[in-house]
Amino acid sequence: MSDATAVAAAASSTDPAVGLAAVAALRGLQESLEELQVRSARDQGWSWQQIADALRISRQAVHKKYRRILG
Amino acid sequence: MFERFTEAARRVVVLAQEEARQRRADRVAPEHLLLGLLRCPGTPGAELLRAAGVGTEEVERGLASPGPHDAAALAALGIDLDAVRRAAERAFGPGALDRPRGQWRAGHIRFDPQAKKTLELALREAIRLSDRHIGSEHVLLALLHPGHTAARLLADHGVTLAATRLVVEQRPDRWAG
Repeated sequence: MSDATAVAAAASSTDPAVGLAAVAALRGLQESLEELQVRSARDQGWSWQQIADALRISRQAVHKKYRRILG
Repeated sequence: MFERFTEAARRVVVLAQEEARQRRADRVAPEHLLLGLLRCPGTPGAELLRAAGVGTEEVERGLASPGPHDAAALAALGIDLDAVRRAAERAFGPGALDRPRGQWRAGHIRFDPQAKKTLELALREAIRLSDRHIGSEHVLLALLHPGHTAARLLADHGVTLAATRLVVEQRPDRWAG
């Protein structure tokens, strides 16, 4: 089995323990990447509204999530 | 429950948080409690570990890769964490991806369910031994209950719950703490 096939098999794994753990790990990774990008955007002078539009979520949601850590 | 913790046991808890923070973990896990114990030399729990030949080095060797992200789980989705990390570091500098999320977490990192359970088990171990205090030795006994990395690590070094309970029970003048 090639690597790609192995990965595809795992990605569609029917074992909930494997699949759910993978999704949880992905969520953590997404949160880290989002924070990096939001921080960078703020450093470059983006408004909360601009960031929210780019993330396709509401301004309130972005602000609530990052205000405390990024100001 | 915490008011029954000895000075040493409280220090273990504080140091566990520090270990988790330094290792960029999201939560305090049982292995951080184990590392905290090892940083309290001279306390009963740490002495028992020393007698068993378990030191910080041994524990670190047995721990999963540092950082908050699970490379193996992500690989199951076809995501190469190393590749993502390299890209993030190219743009945002070394360690960018592995920084704990949210600086406000710096002061306080929560305990994960297994670490919470471990502290409860420390209380139960103390009750079992009719001890009024919860000391570092009870934290060690609690860590020997299976179900997490720290317990597996200790088992690998031949430290068992039954044998350690015996040593703690037979200690003539119970250490305080």
